[in-house]
Amino acid sequence: MNLLLSDFPLTEELPKCDQNCYVDLNQMKIAGCKGCFGCWVKTPGKCVLRDDAVKIYPLIAKSERLIYVSRLFYGSYDEPMKYMLERAIPIQQAFIRLYHNETHHVQRQVVKKQAVIIAYGEKDEQEREIFRKLVGRNAKNMQFTDWKIHFSPEKEVEKAIRREVGLWESF
Amino acid sequence: MGKLLIINGSPRAPKSNSKKYGDILRKYWGEGIDVYSVISQKHEEVCKELGKYGDIVFVFPLYVDSLPAVLTNFMKQLEKIAARKENDLLKNLKVHILINCGFLEPEQNDTAIEIFQYFCAKNHLNYGMTLKIASGEAILTTPFAFLVKRKIKRFVKDIRAGKSRTLDISMPLTKKVFLGASTKYWLRYGEKFHTTEKQMRTMKIEDE
Repeated sequence: MNLLLSDFPLTEELPKCDQNCYVDLNQMKIAGCKGCFGCWVKTPGKCVLRDDAVKIYPLIAKSERLIYVSRLFYGSYDEPMKYMLERAIPIQQAFIRLYHNETHHVQRQVVKKQAVIIAYGEKDEQEREIFRKLVGRNAKNMQFTDWKIHFSPEKEVEKAIRREVGLWESF
Repeated sequence: MGKLLIINGSPRAPKSNSKKYGDILRKYWGEGIDVYSVISQKHEEVCKELGKYGDIVFVFPLYVDSLPAVLTNFMKQLEKIAARKENDLLKNLKVHILINCGFLEPEQNDTAIEIFQYFCAKNHLNYGMTLKIASGEAILTTPFAFLVKRKIKRFVKDIRAGKSRTLDISMPLTKKVFLGASTKYWLRYGEKFHTTEKQMRTMKIEDE
């Protein structure tokens, strides 16, 4: 399945297809992770906070192609996307494994995926470089087999989304 | 030297490891220290008072390879103050970070540190010391706790001496031994809630 997760309002009509799922974070109620580890030790695989995030992280786990659209905040994801990514830790186990000779959490049923990140709002090349490093780190914890980052001017984000979603049709 | 402000950037502030590390830091710093947890959401009030501090230590966990979103929210308030031309609240302030992650490698914290340092540079904040703690979820419950305490003591001395450098600490274990130790740690954690290893190892997500 294909998943688009966006903090940029999805006002444009996007291609309807059973395989495609579009999530506009602006329409979701997602509280901050409490860091309680409940999803690892109390109710494994399930967050104890029962808001919209519990519908989204299973989609992240199942998707083979993933597009994140996020404003940047000093080289990191800005709050809406970051809150959601923090709430996605039920897709991992508490247990640690070695991955590329580094310690990382064991993944539950998370399929390997190709990721595209459409990032906007960055200040300069230094911020782009920091974000590239961050996504490189995320790739190890999110089962990305490969990933692309598109830095887009804010006024062209919709166009970038349409273009990337259009590429799903070739799969 | 002015007072020290500790900003606890953990989403689980009162029960967090960040609080425990902050408490150790307080012990070595002595008098003249305030603590603010970002989850109390009184950012504006705290930021108005920044002029009375000489140093701020941000203590926070690594979250998804970056800073916790709840801390980002506080940084936005700081950004607003930094943008005011005629303010001198931040002029004499030096900012330091104490970051911890649950993995064995201290360098897993590096991208988050870079994000924070970039934030400081863009907002003309004076940056000082960095302490990166690895195996930070459990280390205080192990015989290696003294290593962290010793490093925090060094960190405090260096802040007082006006130094700018990076310190790090982790459990002195091989990766293989660490994997075994961390598994035991999490199994004991699960036992507190009567959760078995089989349940903890479920591959299901929301029962799917």
